[in-house]
Order: sequence, then structure tokens, then C-alpha cells
Amino acid sequence: MAISKKIVLIGHFGVGKTSLIRRFVENAFTEDYKVTIGVHISKKNIEIPEEETVSLIIWDLEGQDDIKNTRPSYLLGTNGFIYVFDLSRPVTFENLDSEVTYLKENFPNTPVKVVGNKMDLVNKVYLSDYNDVFKPLVDFYVSAKTGSRVELLFSKLAKELI
Amino acid sequence: MNQDEKLSIIKDILLTDEREFASSIEKKIKILEKTINEKKNLSTKVDPIIDEKLKEFIEEIPKSLGPTITEALKKEITNSKDAVVEALFPILGKMVKRYVQHEMKLLSERINNQVNNTFSFKRFFRKAKSKTTGINESDLIIQEQTNTKIEQVIIIEKGSGLLLAEISKNKMADEDMVAGMLTAIKSFVEDAFKEESQDLQYIEYDHYHIHLQNFSSFYIAVVVSGAYNVIFKDKLEDKILDFTSKQKVFDILKNKNILNQKLEEFFNNGNI
Repeated sequence: MAISKKIVLIGHFGVGKTSLIRRFVENAFTEDYKVTIGVHISKKNIEIPEEETVSLIIWDLEGQDDIKNTRPSYLLGTNGFIYVFDLSRPVTFENLDSEVTYLKENFPNTPVKVVGNKMDLVNKVYLSDYNDVFKPLVDFYVSAKTGSRVELLFSKLAKELI
Repeated sequence: MNQDEKLSIIKDILLTDEREFASSIEKKIKILEKTINEKKNLSTKVDPIIDEKLKEFIEEIPKSLGPTITEALKKEITNSKDAVVEALFPILGKMVKRYVQHEMKLLSERINNQVNNTFSFKRFFRKAKSKTTGINESDLIIQEQTNTKIEQVIIIEKGSGLLLAEISKNKMADEDMVAGMLTAIKSFVEDAFKEESQDLQYIEYDHYHIHLQNFSSFYIAVVVSGAYNVIFKDKLEDKILDFTSKQKVFDILKNKNILNQKLEEFFNNGNI
């Protein structure tokens, strides 16, 4: 029987949380933007080599400009967080430090992965411009559109949870 | 006879007709004033005219205003559907309720006729049951027809919404996702009402009833089809309490396999 782990994706509106999950669970992507209302739950089993099967129950929460506005009960019992921001929209990462700190302080024993999405929309020069902001905090640069590093993000988090 | 007197006589001769005319005008004005200023008199004169015009107007409404009113109503209904539904809901609700009551009465009468006109062992046993339990025989027949069944039992960890154990008659939606979504709905409702120590206890979905029973670290969701009434709810609550205490669920929460096995053993026949 697979071990179940609850993963919660949070971040601003339109950063691509739902697209990341869709890419990971269904290996699909669409340009159509449909705002998530409340919460949407998906599931995917992943095999961890030399370990066992992990069943990831992924909670896709509606976007919030401020993490403090997230309904606290949705975060209860979370095994791992993925904080997603949009690399191409500075407004989604201008409070990155405080948002990540809030998560780490309130859920001290829960791993948090900070993810910059929409990697396909930016170039190396752009990334180096924001190096001071990104380098200390960001764990993964991914693209839900191309699928770049999405699988790696979830499997790495799953490994940490076992 | 001086000058003024002569002039007066000439005036009398010349203006007699005009004076009479003026006098008659004065009289007519007084009558008119009386008619206008006294409601009763005015009413006698005006009412028949208004009545006649009103009658004409009413007769003309369908022709002259009908299309305009219909168009305006159509537009208003299209623009304010929610308001219309809100206004109609209480009326329709009562109508539906009355209709259902009427249909139930007819059903009851049909069953009564059936009971009176047939004889079988089943009927004999039903009659005996009716006598011993005090439940009306017709109600027993209805109860037989609306057989309540447990479709699925899910044990869910509180907070995380992770599935701990599950049994189901027919594989429905993915149980992990159902557990998560039920927890999200529960969290939302409980947060919204902000009442501490109050839990969501029941959800109705199509022809399924989801009974939720809360414990300290987990809750049990039972998906029921058929009639979910107070008697059934009472029995179900007792059965779940019986299950949690007899099977020592609190001690085996971490062991999914054993918990699943115990759940299956306890609810194997799906009846209460």
C-alpha cells in the first residue's frame, strides 16, 4: 500500500500552480487560464527507487496576494509545500522572502520548495538581474508549458517526505 | 331732471338686454362654481365620463400596452434571473411541497388498496411486524421500497484529509481525492461559520447522503443511498461508535492494512 502525502501549492494568482499540477499529473498544458476557486485536489503515485510508492495528494489552493489570507484549515496536516511564483511578473515575487519565512515559521518541520515558474518566458540576463532575490530562496526554475524540471521538483520533494 | 338722471334713464333704456344677459351669466357661473367646488356635484357630472374612458382604456390595454409590457417583462427577467428565482422560489417550493404531499397520499392509498386486496406470507409477517413494532403497515412497505444501503465507508485523517481506510460496494471516484475534497468542504464550512467545536455532519449529493461522524484525530464519512432518516442516522451513529470502540481504531490508525481489514469485517454486509 502506498504512503500518502499531502502537498500544498500556494502563491499569487496566475503564477501557474494549476498548470504545474496538470503538467505533473496529466503531462498536459493549456494556455487557457481558468482561475482556481477554493481548492482543487489531484493525485499521483510516484515510484521512489529502492523505496516505495508514494501517493501524492496535491492540494491546489486558489491564488492569494498575501499568504496570510490563505484559509489556515487548508494547510493543516501538510507534508510538503510548493511555493510558486511567476518569474516574468515581479509583483508575484516582491514579497518572496517574507512569504517563505511565514511558511517556514508556521510549519517548521514541513519542507518548502520555492519554485519560479514560466522559465520559458525569461532569459539568463533577466535571471541574473534578479539574482539577489532568487539565489537565496529559489529551489527550482521550472516551466509548466515545456515541462522542464516539473517531474524533478515533485519527485525530489516526495523523496524528502519519506 | 338734471343731467345725471337723464343719463341714467338713457342707460336703462339702452342696456336692459345686456344687464339681463350679465345676470344670467352670473347665475350660470354660480351654478358652475357650485358644481366644481362640491365633490358630490362634480362626481355626478364627471364620473360617467371617467368610467366610460376607463372602460375604453381597459379594453385597449391588450392592444396598446400588451406588447410593450411583454417586452419589458422579458427583458427584466433576462437581466435579473437571480431576483426572479428568489421571488419565485418560495411560491414554487410550496407548490412542489403540496404536490409531493398529494402524491405521497396517493401512493399511501394505492399501497393500502394493495394490502387490502392481496394475501401472502410476506403480508402476514409484515402485519405481525407492524403489530409488534407499532409502525404502520404502509410505512413498512414504503420502508421496504426505499431500502437504505451503505455504499462506501471512508476513514479520513482530520486536518490533512488523508485517507486512512476505505471500503466500497462499487468503485466510485478515487477515494484519496474524495477524502481530500470532503475535508476541504468540511474545513470551508467550519471556517465560514467560525464556530469552535462545531462540525459539518451531513452532505447531500444527488441521491447519495454523506454522513460525517467526527472524532478527535479522524472522521468517518459514510456514503448512503436510499432513505436517510433520523432512525437510520441514529443506528448508523451507534454502529460507528461501536466500530471505533470495539476495534480500538485509535490504536490502529497508523496501520492502514489492519484498519482496512477491520473496517471490511465490520461493515461487510452493508446493512445496519
